[in-house]
Amino acid sequence: MRRGLLNASRVKRGGASWQRSFALRGRDRSDMAYEALDFYDIDALLTEEEKMVRDMVRDWVDKEVIPNIEDACRDGIFPDKWRVDLGEMGILGAPLKGYGCPGLSYIAYGLICQELERGDSGVRSFASVQGSLAMYPIWDFGSEEQKNHYLPRMASGELIGCFGLTEPDYGSNPGDMITRAEDKGDYYLLNGAKMWITNGTIADLAVVWAKLDGVIRGFIVEKDDPGFSAPEMTGKHSLKASVTSELVFQDCMIPKDRILPGVKGLKGPFSCLNNARYGISWGAVGAAQSCFNSTKEYALSRIQFGHPIASFQLIQNKLSWMLREITKAQLLAYHLGKKKDDGTWIPEHISLAKMNNVDIALEIARMSRDIHGANGILDEYPIMRHMANLESVKTYEGTHDIHNLILGRHITGIQSFTREP
Amino acid sequence: MDVTVIADSTDDGLTPVTAQLVGAATSIGGNPTVLCPGGVGASEAASISGVSKVISVEGDCFGTYEGGAWATALDSQATGDLVLAAASPRGRDIAASLAALRKIPIIQDATGLEVGLVVSRPIYSGKAMETSNVEGPCVITLRANAFDAAPDGGTSEVSTVNQSADVGLAVKEAIAKASERLDVTEADIIISGGRGMGEPSNFSHLNEVADMIGAAVGASRAAVDTWEEIPHSMQVGQTGKTVTPSLYIAVGISGAIQHLAGMKTSKYIVAINKDPDAPIFGVADYGIVATWEDALPALKTELAKL
Amino acid sequence: MAIGVLLKQVPDTTAKIGVSGGRVDESAVSKWSMSPYDEYALESALKLKESGGGDVVAITCGPARAGKMLTDAAAVGADTLMHVQIDSHDSIDSTQIQSILAAALERAGCNVVFCGKQAADTNGGSTGPGVAMLMGASCVSHVSEVSADAGGYLALRASSGGDERVHVSAPCVFAFDKGSEELRRPNVRGIMMAKKKVIETVSPEDLGVSMGESRVTVVSHSPPPEKPPGQKFEGADSVATVVSKLRDEANVI
Repeated sequence: MRRGLLNASRVKRGGASWQRSFALRGRDRSDMAYEALDFYDIDALLTEEEKMVRDMVRDWVDKEVIPNIEDACRDGIFPDKWRVDLGEMGILGAPLKGYGCPGLSYIAYGLICQELERGDSGVRSFASVQGSLAMYPIWDFGSEEQKNHYLPRMASGELIGCFGLTEPDYGSNPGDMITRAEDKGDYYLLNGAKMWITNGTIADLAVVWAKLDGVIRGFIVEKDDPGFSAPEMTGKHSLKASVTSELVFQDCMIPKDRILPGVKGLKGPFSCLNNARYGISWGAVGAAQSCFNSTKEYALSRIQFGHPIASFQLIQNKLSWMLREITKAQLLAYHLGKKKDDGTWIPEHISLAKMNNVDIALEIARMSRDIHGANGILDEYPIMRHMANLESVKTYEGTHDIHNLILGRHITGIQSFTREP
Repeated sequence: MDVTVIADSTDDGLTPVTAQLVGAATSIGGNPTVLCPGGVGASEAASISGVSKVISVEGDCFGTYEGGAWATALDSQATGDLVLAAASPRGRDIAASLAALRKIPIIQDATGLEVGLVVSRPIYSGKAMETSNVEGPCVITLRANAFDAAPDGGTSEVSTVNQSADVGLAVKEAIAKASERLDVTEADIIISGGRGMGEPSNFSHLNEVADMIGAAVGASRAAVDTWEEIPHSMQVGQTGKTVTPSLYIAVGISGAIQHLAGMKTSKYIVAINKDPDAPIFGVADYGIVATWEDALPALKTELAKL
Repeated sequence: MAIGVLLKQVPDTTAKIGVSGGRVDESAVSKWSMSPYDEYALESALKLKESGGGDVVAITCGPARAGKMLTDAAAVGADTLMHVQIDSHDSIDSTQIQSILAAALERAGCNVVFCGKQAADTNGGSTGPGVAMLMGASCVSHVSEVSADAGGYLALRASSGGDERVHVSAPCVFAFDKGSEELRRPNVRGIMMAKKKVIETVSPEDLGVSMGESRVTVVSHSPPPEKPPGQKFEGADSVATVVSKLRDEANVI
């Protein structure tokens, strides 16, 4: 609010004192620029390098993503310029070391995810899939040749990767996957289908998990391999600026040197997911911060019953709840990042943070929509987009409920995923 | 107290600021000598009331602009402990060079001047004011229109001095000003139209005003969505550009909350709207209840008088 | 060849400025940034280095917090960083700051200097021309482009009628307006290298500058004057009134 005719006349009528102070405060309202919510001063815990990386990504999101995201969503595309920019910034595969990878801390990787998802979950998804789901398994389980061949070009954004685990009939239960690989002597033959694959159609390579003699193994499939196709899935109401695809293998022939030699069983895909889920726990904070900022701004400028709605107790209660939950989520993400960096983490730590942070981000998005009233459904505000995105984020990379079951097993020692003992 | 005033001029003669510099000098009891670089506007300066004398400083160096060279040529004629110049691009440049040459401090862009010498100026783009005390000789540049101009009616003598200095640069090529208009995010003045403009072709009236005052032309989302002739790059508001110019003129814009979000931090807002209850008046410093058809011609007439 | 770039750290132009106890409260500034025109100066200096070689020496004079800005400059390619530490800009006048910067440039061996035409805090515009005078250099102001040319430089500067291209030889100072080049973004590699770069931190005394007393004393800072309440006028006849108010009250046209 700024002092204008409306307020001035109200003050003249002997208006309440808040109007005066409010108007005064309004003189210097420079809060158009993004100022991240950081109630507990997490900033003070970051290294200079981490802050510089964060600020670089924050500026990029302000300049490139936010002005263009609504168009990208409307067109249902992930702009190729974003791929080039992410590669140029050198943030793909952030925590990986060597082979042209950035070698940043897990805290820095988290901050990157946070800033990207403040722009849009689709942008963060691109980076998560490229770094944690495609580059990571090659980095951890690949041969020296595979690492040298793929990683530098994936870090630079020249090659896009995707990750094929989920199938049409097997989501939360990947162990029962149908996709099979056969050893044909000179080559492997892949048959089956993967679904809900981020980046699939635009990817140059896919890290695909398939059963070879009943054991889950990782394979690198390149886009031109015979018998491989990646049709795009359309009609999404969520993650519209992200490409989602099926991967179809019909007698797909791949050379023998494309199997990942370093891992067998579900441990392979799960270790990738741990890293991606970790990134999501930060990303969700970014989406929540974006919703909070828009809501605070809106509530301060929206006048109803002669007062900014921010002056009403029901609104303040909601804003206070958002602040509380975002602050808690930030502390979770930060502490988890420290544990990732010093190696003291367990997968259950990640489950808790992913589940909690996405959950509160989604709730904050819904509450923000509520406070924005009818305006909240417009693309003038990021609210509805974040809300729809977060519905996907709540489900992918281990659904909210699966993470509850992971924690339930941790607490009780009793797995409850299946009926079998 | 002797005060040296460096006349502010364009190729066509003095700017109105010169008389304001004289006014400021006399308001603190100064006895102003006006230096006219290259002799431009010397007779005009002599007719400003309160001017003690005018020195037309002429020399080869004034054929090419270089602040340092001009300052060096003017230096020999500057007398007294206070030098005043305009806070115009060239005024600042010459004044800063002169201050460095004389090894005396400079304060730029003053909006207040009192005996003492107490100088006030806006800092942080006007988000705060600073008041300083200066001891001894100094150079001060003054913001245009912040001081009362000395009236006409002076009859001081004009002397001519030949004084040049070495110019270190040579102009190789002059490039006429491109006609392309400023982007709204770069402009210090913006005039925006909304759906109240009736037809996209009527934005030509906004363009005319913009050209007169070096403004950028913006638009509300309603205008951008309604008319494809109005590009999204002009849109000011929640999903358009966020702007903070010194002056924002909203024409035929009702002032939806999304539009206000993009422009309400402008320093001054003028609203022209035929609907007296339009929300835009709620944030306007100066509201004019009128149709744009009536108001814009009047605006052009008044701006032409400046 | 050493290409000097003078940088100043200022509150980000989007940051709120609060006044408490008669002084702008610097501790409440949410974000400090490189002054925007200085960014264009740095960009142009880097371009010049890329086309003709040399070292870009980034120099700032300011309190301890300003060191971070030099690291930011290194992240986009500045080779050498020099920080002349002073307690506060409030306590020194233009002659002092210019002497310090001229001495720093001399120490770094720079006879080509890039700077912003004015810093976004005081919006003064004295440093470029002032430092040039002390160096015995030509100052080209309101520059948007610089390139090497026939033993000297060709600069594009704003003039009253449009733009003009001027030739100048070293020693020279280019005071930058908004440049025509897009600013480069840092990247992770640049940030990692910047982290390892040593900032040479010196005092004015180290540079042989005897500071003496500032002849300008800041008496107080205050919030901007209250604007008059919003005023509404009926009819197009009021346009004349509004225009005169914009000129005399608001001082914006």
